[in-house]
Amino acid sequence: MTLLEISGLTLDLPGGERLLHGIDLSVNEGETVALVGESGSGKSLTAQSILGLLPARSVVTGTVLVDGHNVPTMSSKELLGLRRSTAAMVFQDPRAGINPMRTIGDHLTEALRLGEGWSAGRARERAIEMLAAVQMPRPEEHLRQYPHELSGGMLQRVMIAGALVGSPRLLVCDEPTTALDVTTQAQILQVLIEQRQARSMGMLFITHDLNLAASLCERVYVMRDGRVEEEGSARQIFRHPATAYTRRLVAATPTIEITGDEPRASTELVRQPVLQVRDLAKTYPGRGRESVRALANVTLEIAAGEALGIVGESGSGKSTLARMIVGLELPDFGKVIIDDQERHGRPRRRADRLDRARKVQMVFQDPYLSLDPRMTAGEAVEDALRLHHPELRRPDICSRALTLLDNVGLASTQAEALPRTLSGGQRQRVAIARALAIEPSLLVMDEATSALDVSVQAQVLEVISEIRRERGLTLLFISHDLAVVRTVCERSVVMREGEVVESATTADLLTNPQHEYTRLLIDSVPRAAAIA
Amino acid sequence: MSRPTPTLAIKVLRSSRRRRVNASWMISIIVLAAITLAAIFAPLVAPYDPDHIDFTAIYANPGWAHWLGADALGRDTLSRMIYGARTALLAPLVVVIASTFLGVVLGLVAGWRGGWLDAVIGRLLDVLLAFPALLIAIMAVALFGKGLVAPVIAMSIAYAPFVARLTRSLVASERARPYVAAYRVQGFAGGWIALRRVLPNVAPTVGAQSTLNFGYVLAELAGLSFLGLGVQAPTADWGAMINESQAGIVGGYFLPAIIPAVAVVIVVVAVNVIGEEVSDRIGGGTPT
Amino acid sequence: MTIRRVGGKLGSLVLTLVLASALVFFSRFLVPGDPVNFLLRGRKPSPEAKAAVVEQFGLDLPPWEQYFRWIGGMFHGDFGRSLQFRDAVTTVIGDRLPVTAGLVIMSAVIIVVVGVIAGTIAALYRGRFADRAILTVLTAFGAIPPFVGSIVLIAVFAVQLRWFPAFGSGDGFLDTIYHLTLPSIAMAIAFMVLIGKVTRMSMVEQLSREHVHVATSRGLGRLTVIRRHVFRNALGPIFTVGGMLIAGLLVATSIVESAFGIAGVGSLLVQSVNRLDFPVVQAIVLLVVTSFVVTNAIVDLLEPIIDPRAAAGEAGR
Repeated sequence: MTLLEISGLTLDLPGGERLLHGIDLSVNEGETVALVGESGSGKSLTAQSILGLLPARSVVTGTVLVDGHNVPTMSSKELLGLRRSTAAMVFQDPRAGINPMRTIGDHLTEALRLGEGWSAGRARERAIEMLAAVQMPRPEEHLRQYPHELSGGMLQRVMIAGALVGSPRLLVCDEPTTALDVTTQAQILQVLIEQRQARSMGMLFITHDLNLAASLCERVYVMRDGRVEEEGSARQIFRHPATAYTRRLVAATPTIEITGDEPRASTELVRQPVLQVRDLAKTYPGRGRESVRALANVTLEIAAGEALGIVGESGSGKSTLARMIVGLELPDFGKVIIDDQERHGRPRRRADRLDRARKVQMVFQDPYLSLDPRMTAGEAVEDALRLHHPELRRPDICSRALTLLDNVGLASTQAEALPRTLSGGQRQRVAIARALAIEPSLLVMDEATSALDVSVQAQVLEVISEIRRERGLTLLFISHDLAVVRTVCERSVVMREGEVVESATTADLLTNPQHEYTRLLIDSVPRAAAIA
Repeated sequence: MSRPTPTLAIKVLRSSRRRRVNASWMISIIVLAAITLAAIFAPLVAPYDPDHIDFTAIYANPGWAHWLGADALGRDTLSRMIYGARTALLAPLVVVIASTFLGVVLGLVAGWRGGWLDAVIGRLLDVLLAFPALLIAIMAVALFGKGLVAPVIAMSIAYAPFVARLTRSLVASERARPYVAAYRVQGFAGGWIALRRVLPNVAPTVGAQSTLNFGYVLAELAGLSFLGLGVQAPTADWGAMINESQAGIVGGYFLPAIIPAVAVVIVVVAVNVIGEEVSDRIGGGTPT
Repeated sequence: MTIRRVGGKLGSLVLTLVLASALVFFSRFLVPGDPVNFLLRGRKPSPEAKAAVVEQFGLDLPPWEQYFRWIGGMFHGDFGRSLQFRDAVTTVIGDRLPVTAGLVIMSAVIIVVVGVIAGTIAALYRGRFADRAILTVLTAFGAIPPFVGSIVLIAVFAVQLRWFPAFGSGDGFLDTIYHLTLPSIAMAIAFMVLIGKVTRMSMVEQLSREHVHVATSRGLGRLTVIRRHVFRNALGPIFTVGGMLIAGLLVATSIVESAFGIAGVGSLLVQSVNRLDFPVVQAIVLLVVTSFVVTNAIVDLLEPIIDPRAAAGEAGR
């Protein structure tokens, strides 16, 4: 039984720009189908067309049949009926997707009360039933709570419960776990799988994560630039991708399986440690509530030329650690020693500042905010060069800047570009070039590739490994993503709630985890191989 | 906590950021330029001495002799408008420059340093914001007597908190951005980052606010003269002209009062159009 | 939590008021020369009159004691004596307060009703003709200061058309409203743009929020979504700007009351400046400042009713 049948769907913006070029896609009853693509591929638009949620005044051709009825030609009343009882959607960010000024109970019951005309009592019972179904601990209590009182994972359960109250036959999930930590993601996926089975719904699961798609879904559609690039079983897509793009995508998607291509720890016996962190601790005083322990007795060491990964979920203290190592924050206790020199307080004199800058540089997470919006790529690098090499003359600085940009794979024409005209990947390359301009002993990268699409991430990671080969750079690589850390770092530590729970070579950590939290983390990562 | 911030009002006034027809912006520039030039070269441009009383021309209608007519004393309205533009434009200009300087200094210090200094400056601004500009100006007149000097100083102080609040919030939000952290990690001094990198990034938005302030200040100073507390008759000034000619309205003689009133409105509109357009153009890429 | 919040706000309110009143009081000390001569400017005082002023203001006391006497007096409703009316300042202001309050309230009602309706329509038809027309008209109105509005309204509706009186505040309730119609419109014109634009901006911002999209995806009708998820959420900034307007309105009464010959607090302020009656000026300035600060404190305290996050102490909008 075909539940959803999209054929020849095109979408044009009022300005005439075409965003979807003839999409064909189907979902059967009880089937889970994944729609995979990078940003701008049109996967979310396709999902929204199913509920008739397209941008105002856009022009649609083709058909979107849900349960035999064509959505684009529905009257607004028919659309309301479709959304209330036939198809429902779970969105990416529950924090943004639930009205912060209304209670959870209000969110769950309003569609029933105002749309279907249910009594308040009946709607309330239904809401409690749904909250129990998505395994919320205290359904009755949650009804009175406001969204800000719940965690992201809990809110996503509420969002799912809200989508299920109308007993839809088709559930569309638009990146429902992207904003969540990996262990929370695993729980949410569990809830979704259970509910799909219990209700024999059809499910369309939109994601950028090929591993996730393959672990969850029977069939996978790969989208690119508003077109369906390829369609097939998860196994087929992974093992025998038909198109060049899918092949590249599969290759660029990091996994946590040991494949032998990961960097090996050096065989040299004794190497000079570049960074030593001893018993670092930091507690943020809470204003009117409990104080937050960000770091507790963190000790670690990085040898020259080594790359150390720090893995942890949000709130693990990994970013605080990074900011302390580069001196943006001061620890309550403990020492940061770089190149055998201990750091005390904030730098006072110019020489002190420059000296510290040469010891450690940092690449930040958000490529959109980490560059000065008024400075071109070239100027960003030149600024750093001029500060650290006042003896150099202008033409020398220019040519050095261009060389650095060339090293990270940017053309000389892009030196003139302002950040807003550059893509996320290009901006992150500029940030790397800017850090390298100072020739630091240690480079700290804080989630530096997390905001990027997988194919762009793969390119940036390639740039990093090239630079490491050429310059023997020492690297502290912070990430929530075990798979990325595997491809970059010889050694890794796992952090949780401000503490280091385990420290080992990356390969050992992945194949033979000692701590239960490390095991949980690894088990939570979706794996294509499990199915394929 | 959302306190009544002027920032909000500015956001409000700038929210209609759509591409204007360029005609309105060209016209605004031409009008302002013409008035400014006429004011600068008033003795050359004005057909009459603004204070010349001519009893044969009392309430004269517009015509070849008096393009915009004449007032109750037969003084030429056009000449008085041209001379009146001098105080009408110069005084707000002084206020805008002084309040912008004061506000940017306070806002930059508060937003960049944070901590107790921010709290003290914030409290000071809170107190000053409780005094509407026109009220401070009226009080200045009550203390130091009529004229334009005391109100101009008072208004410079009264408008500084609006600029300071905006600057503070912009600087504080810039300071929290990773690009500022990146400058620090590179070894740049805090003062250098604040003055050379952050200030230029917030300048377009602050500049747009100051431009909009010009219109308000002009209207308020004219209002002060209208109340008889600012520029004193018989000196030609738009506000004072309305004040003098108000009595004639009841008798049906509208023009001597309406002309300066319309002039105030035209200048305010023109300044606002230019302010929004400039902030659109320069501030296009500014993160706010 | 809530009690702490309210306590904190009240503390901040009191501190602001203390600082503002000190500013009002000590401003007099900026004027060089003998304070007796300053207070009795433009008059030919007898030595006895001088002595009386010294006694009344406590001019022989140190400044801080003078301030505390002044503040202390206010708690008993004593704002000193008016020099022009030879009467208690409290009485002089009290007589004129009702008409000014009426004017401000009428004007505020016009501003809020017109502003919110216009802003809502503009937001719902964003980018279309209705939106552009409303914005253009509001912006043009925003450039019309109260004194210009006053003389134009007088010229057209009072002198030419003779629909409304040009002068005075009338007797009795309906007559007062009739007399205050033009003045309150004259004041309202310039301020409508702020409420209109903040309504539009806030609504547009809320309309683009994902939770609105989610509500739509769940089969709620457009009107229900707008009422429950857009308008309600957009109220915060409208209240905040509304609170800020109070200051402007109170001062604008000085212009509008002067133009329409209304014997209110605003025209009293101008008259007192003209007649060098500083005690009255001081009292009115403090009255305006206090009204502004208190109004905004109330708006601030009401915030958690609109936004539950504010109650939890989470700044975030």
